[in-house]
Amino acid sequence: MIITSRRAAAATASTLVLTVALTACGRDDGDAGSGGTDDAGTQVSEGPATGTVEVWAMGTEGELLPELAEQFEADNPDVTVEVTPVPWESAVQKINTAMATGEVPDVLQAGTTLMSGFVELGGLAETPDSIDSEAFFPGAWDTTVVDGTSYGVPWYVETRVLYYRTDLAEQAGVDEPQTWDELKEFAAGMQDAGAEHGIALQTNGDGTALMYFPFYWQAGGEIVDDAGEFTLADDAQVEALDFYSSFMADGLAPQTLVEDEKVQDFIDGELGAFVSGPWERSNLLTTAGDDFADKFAVTALPPDEQAASFIGGSNLAVTAEAANPDAAWKFVEFATDPEVQVDWFEISNDLPAVQASWDDEALAGDESLAVYGEALETARSTPALPTWSEIEHELNLVIEQVVNGQLEPEEAAQQMQDAATSIGDGLG
Amino acid sequence: MALRTDAPPAPGGPATRGCRPESARRRRRGYAAWGFALPFTVLFAVFMILPVGASLYMAFTDMRGADLRSPLAVNFIGLDNFVAAVTDPQFQQAAGNTVYFVGVAMPLTLGIALLLAALLNSGLTWFRSVFRVGFYAPVVTSIVAVAVVWRFLLQPDFGLINSALGLVGIDGPDWLTDPTWAMPSLIMLAVWRNVGFSMVILLAGLQGIPKDLYEAASLDGAGAVRTFRSVTVPLLRPTLLFCAVMTGIAYLQFFEEPFVMTQGGPLGATNSVAYEIYNQFGFGDYGLSAAMSYLLFVAIAILSFLQFRLLRPKN
Repeated sequence: MIITSRRAAAATASTLVLTVALTACGRDDGDAGSGGTDDAGTQVSEGPATGTVEVWAMGTEGELLPELAEQFEADNPDVTVEVTPVPWESAVQKINTAMATGEVPDVLQAGTTLMSGFVELGGLAETPDSIDSEAFFPGAWDTTVVDGTSYGVPWYVETRVLYYRTDLAEQAGVDEPQTWDELKEFAAGMQDAGAEHGIALQTNGDGTALMYFPFYWQAGGEIVDDAGEFTLADDAQVEALDFYSSFMADGLAPQTLVEDEKVQDFIDGELGAFVSGPWERSNLLTTAGDDFADKFAVTALPPDEQAASFIGGSNLAVTAEAANPDAAWKFVEFATDPEVQVDWFEISNDLPAVQASWDDEALAGDESLAVYGEALETARSTPALPTWSEIEHELNLVIEQVVNGQLEPEEAAQQMQDAATSIGDGLG
Repeated sequence: MALRTDAPPAPGGPATRGCRPESARRRRRGYAAWGFALPFTVLFAVFMILPVGASLYMAFTDMRGADLRSPLAVNFIGLDNFVAAVTDPQFQQAAGNTVYFVGVAMPLTLGIALLLAALLNSGLTWFRSVFRVGFYAPVVTSIVAVAVVWRFLLQPDFGLINSALGLVGIDGPDWLTDPTWAMPSLIMLAVWRNVGFSMVILLAGLQGIPKDLYEAASLDGAGAVRTFRSVTVPLLRPTLLFCAVMTGIAYLQFFEEPFVMTQGGPLGATNSVAYEIYNQFGFGDYGLSAAMSYLLFVAIAILSFLQFRLLRPKN
């Protein structure tokens, strides 16, 4: 009897477990994957912040942020900010794990292209209405918005501009390009002046699409339309692919760009120009010495139909399960205050995401920074879709084939559209 | 298990009636046995069965990265993931590349390892340990450091390999960026990295072959080739089998080389199955990548089975 009753109990238990498991399986209908918190509209209280704010920041920002946090602690005597530096390489995995287990920090530095993934996990809180979206560069604010709702605040930005050798440009008698045609003449002139290649554009691998998309936007293209449908197979795509690949086909750019050689070639005068972000300046100066500063300059990418560049950087987001959301949002508000943004620029060289900060003497007085400031006004990012990294990977492969002459631009544009629609926007 | 099986209790009543002490003792012994087995069983269940079960479960669902917080709230989609994987042109290309890689790199690795082991075993006795360390060093060197050095070697313009080829009048290719040459470059790298492991094992195998067999062979008038074929290879079979299986398993999971050297390019020429799985995981397609992982697992099982059939000791 004992045995049988125990067996029966075990059987019941396992059946129960199975039933529970089965009923738990299957997706909820409705808003699965839309993420976010259920409480409508986050509110931030008045008065100074209190308690502990745990912040995760990546790379250099993670190392330098404690300096800024000290200011916040000085303004709010009852608050303690704990900054945890996270390496960029392991950031996504670490944050995903944290969100899945609920062991999250209060504030998170989120790369602009990573936002949708964290929102899809339901890990980020909605931005309170008290934060003014108009204060930021529009392209930067867009990176916080997933499916119509903002989940963070732009913290710092970067954008891509054209680095070129001033000595070669002078020798060739070419001015900073103002149109697409002039960009090609510019590159050709660099070659006449002795460079092996006039310009370097990424031809394959991660980031190819990000290098390419400014040209698509300049030609008037849009990745998704207002209704959220992909519109990659348009004339602008064909035009931009044709233009982009013509640099390689005409021998103005390396057929296959070896990234490691780019900077050295530029310093040696073998390369006339390349497209990169603000970090490249210090990179060039540390490799070639400070004297090299006289030999190069930056200029915005020339417009076609319109001006456009790629905007990157990081946002500050408060997690959905933050232990101290009130103080967390106060910290975010502090970090995105125009004056604090200038302080942060002086600490870290990160470009402010707040437009008003650019009027400050620290930024307005610098000529090369003005190039970035101007480019940022029209710079934009790729759409904040949970599936974007996968789509971008496909687009990289398509662009590579066009550059290699294996695919005609018309066909490539259609393949881009097909790849994007078959993967879908992941918004459910 | 320590449960006694020689006297199975009749179904139903006997356990509660009559021979009570016997049954209690048996049960106590059962508990003790489970008690001893418990630490291992729990560890095995938590760290082996559970993850394997979970990945198998994933392979049959539409789980994505966003489902991490509620992994049970996903739909079962049967074999859809497997169908999606095998019909995906990128996966097909990756599978083709992996077969190409294993098909060339594995025989090459084993062949060179055997040659080196034979040379070290017979000729170069003085510097044997120096060479042994030299050939084994790449095995224990971090792939990151290796990648940096090899990228310098393979640089199209001023790399060591193309400079050397230039001396004899050959215009070397762009090793890593030419779709034709990228895979051979990685094969070269992989063979260089892995040959030491098989060599050390094979050398140990060679040293285990009794000397008198060679003496007997030479008395019978066998030449070097004949001795190698009729004495060395048959006695080395188990060692060769071990090396072949280990190398096969490692090579089918070809990942590190394309990851650090080419990111699967150019034009997908060095994309491997393991790299594709890694990418899909990165994109959050957990179901699809789990399905791909199981396809790779089946391929590994088949290859290992074939190797066992081919290289098993003949009695």
